[in-house]
Amino acid sequence: MSVSNYKVEFEKMLNRDYFSKSLHPYRKEAFAQLKKIGFPTRKWENWRFTNVSAISDGEFMISEVADAPKNTLNIDSYKMEGVNSIIIYNGHYQKELSSVPDGVTLLSGLEYLERKNGNFDTANNSPFDLLNTAFADSGMCLVEKEIQVETPIRILFISNGDRSIMVNPRVNIDLGESSNLIFIEHHVGDAAAFFQNESVFISLENNAQLNHIRIQSNSEFTQNIANLNVNQQTNSQYDFFQLVDGSKLGRSNICVQLNGENAQCNINSLALSKNNQHIDNNIIVNHNSPQTHSTQFVKSILFDTSSGVFNGRTVVHQNAQKITAHQTNKNLLLSKKAKMNSNPQLEIYADDVKCSHGSTTGQIDEDALFYLQSRGINKQDAMELLVTGFANDVLDKIPHPEIKQFIQADFTNKLGRLMS
Amino acid sequence: MIKIKNLYVNVEDKEILKGINLEVKPGELHVIMGRNGTGKSTLANVLVGKDKYKVTDGTVSFNGENLLDMSPEDRACAGLFLSFQYPVAIPGVNNMYFLKAAVNAVRKSRGEEEIDAVDFLSMIREKLKMVALDESFIHRPVNDGFSGGEKKRNEILQMIALEPKLSILDETDSGLDIDALKIVAQGVNDFRSPDRAFILITHYQRILNYMQPDFVHVLMNGKIVKSGTMELAKEVEKKGYSWIEEEVAEVA
Repeated sequence: MSVSNYKVEFEKMLNRDYFSKSLHPYRKEAFAQLKKIGFPTRKWENWRFTNVSAISDGEFMISEVADAPKNTLNIDSYKMEGVNSIIIYNGHYQKELSSVPDGVTLLSGLEYLERKNGNFDTANNSPFDLLNTAFADSGMCLVEKEIQVETPIRILFISNGDRSIMVNPRVNIDLGESSNLIFIEHHVGDAAAFFQNESVFISLENNAQLNHIRIQSNSEFTQNIANLNVNQQTNSQYDFFQLVDGSKLGRSNICVQLNGENAQCNINSLALSKNNQHIDNNIIVNHNSPQTHSTQFVKSILFDTSSGVFNGRTVVHQNAQKITAHQTNKNLLLSKKAKMNSNPQLEIYADDVKCSHGSTTGQIDEDALFYLQSRGINKQDAMELLVTGFANDVLDKIPHPEIKQFIQADFTNKLGRLMS
Repeated sequence: MIKIKNLYVNVEDKEILKGINLEVKPGELHVIMGRNGTGKSTLANVLVGKDKYKVTDGTVSFNGENLLDMSPEDRACAGLFLSFQYPVAIPGVNNMYFLKAAVNAVRKSRGEEEIDAVDFLSMIREKLKMVALDESFIHRPVNDGFSGGEKKRNEILQMIALEPKLSILDETDSGLDIDALKIVAQGVNDFRSPDRAFILITHYQRILNYMQPDFVHVLMNGKIVKSGTMELAKEVEKKGYSWIEEEVAEVA
């Protein structure tokens, strides 16, 4: 279980001439740091219930040109109406299939670095953020200033093939003052072995508003780590919605900093797991300023021997008076062997705040099931109705009607297959 | 319509019903009265097939079919309906979506075509008027956050939408103010017809001021100990149950 497994690949990476050499110092430093701290083990507090040995013992290789599509890609099956899409296939940007809406600028990692005067975001020193910095490949930077972007923008990440590929997408989204955007990450594909370690850096200036929708529907044989780092200034609003039904191991590390007064974030997540999938949501929201507001609303539906983790932490710092923070975690176990670990935590250092947290884990309500049956609805349809009902209040958080319809249909379809 | 013969029922190994005999014919309205804990709700629940109620002896035939062999959903499709004493709240499930699923399940079992959304909405609007509920009501989650009276009216709404042959009303009158009581009674009265039957379970004679029962039965200790007409209900209202208890004791 060591980082040195990845040394050969790292050297290979540095020799790629299509990656800028000016990023090398950052990569090297990150890799050295990662070597020092190592991959997380079950002894780490935030990783107690999640085993990443498939990654740390793994022999994932960086994506080669041969892993890019040979012919023009057909993406009809991933079609989403009314959005502009950027396509990334096994880590390779598909320029001819991609487009961005007016008001959005797409920069390469290097161009972004130059614009930021060499200030490279390194977020925290978490192992997977460091790994991402070391290996950052399909970097996409969206810079966007004081504009209301009407058309949602989607990055479609496709992972396919049999090779054990590792990709490290790095996405920066900077929303300038009073601008707003709907940003969708859509992870799909049927890879037999794949490791995606994605880092997303979001920066919201005053009054900026971002709707971030993440759909993780790639194959159930992939390892997915998502590292989201969000920084919010005064009056900004961040609404996050996530649907996870893909991946063997799906771990989201979400860290939000509410730095300016009246900044608000709403984290919503719905997981649907089957077989031996493991879906882990690790959320930290820092209230660093007064009158900031946060909600965490996380639900899991677990079939078979699948398992899940909710680790939600809300930290209210000393000067952050008059804030509101609410955490809700609800889990539905649809098999005797499914397992959920839930740990909602509040850490409050201010004295004038309004906070709540709660967690419930249970099975289908037998009385509700009987009630529906007694009205003529057969048991299977009644179960499906109840599970859909359980999911509905999270799905209702999706802000955009067409995207909501897309996700709802996708969810209903998948649930139907699982319950039949 | 329904023939209950010598029905014995256990709940968690305790015998609750001890030989119930009851026949209800089309068009009839039967009232079952009795103190708390005499088995009234057990009778209602065992008829609709709730699984913690175990039948140890006896038979129930519903329009010639063996009711006890049927699943709860098949009983509903065959035309049996229970208005629950405590309707369960189902957060997240939209009332209209639920009603439409139920109506279509029942229609499908009768070999009828499924009703589409437009026709369903106009049908349900009519029925909402009959129970004096406004339309916003069907867009809320099933029974979630409903007041006691709203829950009971929602039960009656389901009844008149599903058009069952036999409706069992389990204390549908309990906890209702006089206006809600009148609405519920009116809803049931409008729904009465020569081919529909009702079993009304109640504590009070009050609702009978608005309905005309054909038979009144008194349930005591798991058995029907006395049957009569409206006069019996009035007597119970006046004198309570002790005199019947004494009568039963004398016979024994």
